[in-house]
Amino acid sequence: MKVELYEAITRAKMSRRNMLRGTAALGAMAMMPKVMGFGAAAAQDSVRAQILAIPGVGAGSPTDADWQKVGELCLGPTKANVAEGEFAGVELTFFGINNNGLHNILFRGLLKGWETYTGAKINWIDLAQADYNPRLQQNIATGTVDFDILAMGAPLEGDTAGQGLLDEMPEWVATQIEMDDYVNYLKAPVGTWGGKTYRISIDGDCHTFAYRKDYFGEGAIGGAEVPKTWQQVNAVSKAVVGQTDPLTSLPAFGYLDPLKGWGGFGFYFLENRAAAYAKHPSDPAWLFDPDTMKPRVNNPAWVQAIQDVMDLIAANAYPADQINADPGTTGFSQFLAGTGSMLMWWGDIGSNARTSDTSVVGDVVGFGINPGSDKVYNSKTAAWEETYNESPNMAYLGWGVYVTNRVSGDEKKRKAAWSAAAHLGGKDLSLWMSAYPSGFQPYRNSHFQYEEWTAAGYDKEFVEDYLGSNLDSYNHPNAAIEPRIPGIFQYYSVAEDELAKGYAGTYKSAQETADAIAAAWEKITDQIGRDSQIALYKASLGL
Amino acid sequence: MLVVAAAQLLQMTGSASFGFENWRPTLYAYVLWTICLCWGQVLMHGEHGKRTLFVLPAAMFVISLTVFPLLFGLVIAFSDWNLSSTSGRQFNGLDNVRQMWADPFYWNAMLNMVWYTLAILIEYAIAFGLALALNAEIKARKFFRVAFLLPLMLSPVAVSWMIGKSMLEARFGPIARLARFLGWEDPSFFGSPMVAKITIMLMDAWTFIPFMMIMILAGLQAIPKELNEAAKVDGANGWRAFWEVTFPMMLPVSITAILIRIIFKLKLADIVIAVTSGGPGGATDTVTSFIFREYRDRSNVGYGTLLAMVYLVIIIIAMTLLMKLADRIARPRT
Repeated sequence: MKVELYEAITRAKMSRRNMLRGTAALGAMAMMPKVMGFGAAAAQDSVRAQILAIPGVGAGSPTDADWQKVGELCLGPTKANVAEGEFAGVELTFFGINNNGLHNILFRGLLKGWETYTGAKINWIDLAQADYNPRLQQNIATGTVDFDILAMGAPLEGDTAGQGLLDEMPEWVATQIEMDDYVNYLKAPVGTWGGKTYRISIDGDCHTFAYRKDYFGEGAIGGAEVPKTWQQVNAVSKAVVGQTDPLTSLPAFGYLDPLKGWGGFGFYFLENRAAAYAKHPSDPAWLFDPDTMKPRVNNPAWVQAIQDVMDLIAANAYPADQINADPGTTGFSQFLAGTGSMLMWWGDIGSNARTSDTSVVGDVVGFGINPGSDKVYNSKTAAWEETYNESPNMAYLGWGVYVTNRVSGDEKKRKAAWSAAAHLGGKDLSLWMSAYPSGFQPYRNSHFQYEEWTAAGYDKEFVEDYLGSNLDSYNHPNAAIEPRIPGIFQYYSVAEDELAKGYAGTYKSAQETADAIAAAWEKITDQIGRDSQIALYKASLGL
Repeated sequence: MLVVAAAQLLQMTGSASFGFENWRPTLYAYVLWTICLCWGQVLMHGEHGKRTLFVLPAAMFVISLTVFPLLFGLVIAFSDWNLSSTSGRQFNGLDNVRQMWADPFYWNAMLNMVWYTLAILIEYAIAFGLALALNAEIKARKFFRVAFLLPLMLSPVAVSWMIGKSMLEARFGPIARLARFLGWEDPSFFGSPMVAKITIMLMDAWTFIPFMMIMILAGLQAIPKELNEAAKVDGANGWRAFWEVTFPMMLPVSITAILIRIIFKLKLADIVIAVTSGGPGGATDTVTSFIFREYRDRSNVGYGTLLAMVYLVIIIIAMTLLMKLADRIARPRT
């Protein structure tokens, strides 16, 4: 779970009485298998209940001792596959980030019990977020991969798996971590290349729709209903220009498009709009033509998305200086501070709504999936279809744990590396990581058993609304999946630059802007290698 | 050593099938060559050779840290090296030059640099005025000298956040509020290209005017007071004394201050990266911030290096011409 979400829920809803009630319930649940003689399933329930009580919702942030305790309690699946001391003498190197004391810092404690039991030793390469990608890219480019286990986002699979740097996941690992439990979009092809599986997911990512409830309803300035399509979103954004925000009494605004580049991450926000227009249910591809790698970013669907933004700029529907507002500012300083009524964002905006000291929208914020569209463009027929379409944007696809091919020639080391990775991606351990500050979001269907959360002391209404929007996005049949090809952030980054020119009026039209992006993408594809990109793009789409 | 390096280079460029797996043997050959060279000096020149050894470490150091990186940079500049490419670094002749020639972003950034550099003349005028004020007998002179120097001591990133992100913030920033109070309905300091460029110029000027001011102040204090007193005795008023005595005397210092300031300005990147990322639409981009994005966001090592090399050459030529011009201006009239 993201730190902010945890703090939000605990601060807003947890009381000592609730916590005692939750703890008592968990204690009772923990006792039940012993009393009633339930089998393995009950034992697993017991573990889940026990770990959710560490340290206890509302009892402060977990410490290293808590992480170690949780790690020990979740050793069951490891013990089923590995004998005690089996990896004595094995040393592994783990490459990851240490943001905010999470990720690698957390993994140390969670893997402590695993190290003690198996006899293996793990060395750590901790990197700040900003240093992570350059270091990894240089390792890849110079052939100096000096780590065995890698924590990595799925978009970088093209740079690693696509270049043969990863070790294929053994079958026993898939069984141990119960991969069938993954939400739909994290199942293959995500984590796979050429039919081989490389990834153990430990996180899920997507953009969800956050809106202000006080803008909508009978007599509200935004209309009676919450917008369900981008056409409606645009209409509301134009309609509220010149009106007063019902909460802050400042000027009212509709949807907030982050318009400034963000090292490639800013392109996700245009994708949110474009997904509804461009992601046809019959076609997994929406950014490139999978047979030629010709960009689709200048087809009528994408041009429509760009045109929407340009129209809103022309209509003064954005706050002043929006064109230079950092996307982070749009989410955290504008929306949370009461500027604007609609936003698409990752998980943390919802949690911050209730925790951030500067947030004024905690009581009026609601969630949903990415708005749809009244029409969808079919790239195969090169024609619009007048039918409702929706497509949640799975922006960034979340973190996973991978094993590099450094261990491929050493069976003992290989098993040790996969065992450590499987321990972190285990079904029970992942529930705990979803429920407590870890930097990771829920990503298994079993994470959405709300009664487990409420038994642990969480607020049911919030969990169902906020996490429900994630679940609906994850399992959507027409989700827009990120292409995990080499250099994907190069494509995004150059697109941001061209979009900025279009938004600033340097290009005459949305079409011209889109054409400039397409031309730049063509150059990148040629530079990286068109044939290999085609092959990898197809692989990433499961074609 | 040269043979090993040449063999390696030929193999890397695909011109020869022989060579080593990596550059490590070349490094070993370089170290071995250095040792042999030192030993040879001692054997051939005895005591004199031993004295030469004291120079050799510095020479080797320069070769390792200046000459080699420069040559390596040149090789990279003529390569197609995208870090995401499966084929690695490929020699691509003049392709990068052609790409640069047709790259509107790069030339746009170059044009911006011309504007940024021209702004130095205004900065200089302000710095001169402030220096004159601080050179006069005014109250709390020491306090003002320290106060005016404070912006120079701040990190440009801190300046970016303090001014660009906070004071100029469109909704709650105090300057935006003041602008609204004065009648600017929707103050946006980074929304339109021209305003954004001027705002960046002002932020950079705020940081570096103290630097020019302190140099000019030091020059002013070095002018003998007798000169101005003599001018007054001869009937020159304050304005004429300034133009006939102070300003000409200050020319060498002024030119030095301006040249150093130009060098700083040509490296301007941090404020731009932190505040606007070059936007809107490249209006505030500098060459350095553009190269930074080319390398960091697009892993485009070859092209980025070529741009940096070309920029270096342009800077060297421009600075050489400027120094000759400055020399001509500052040379005493005969």
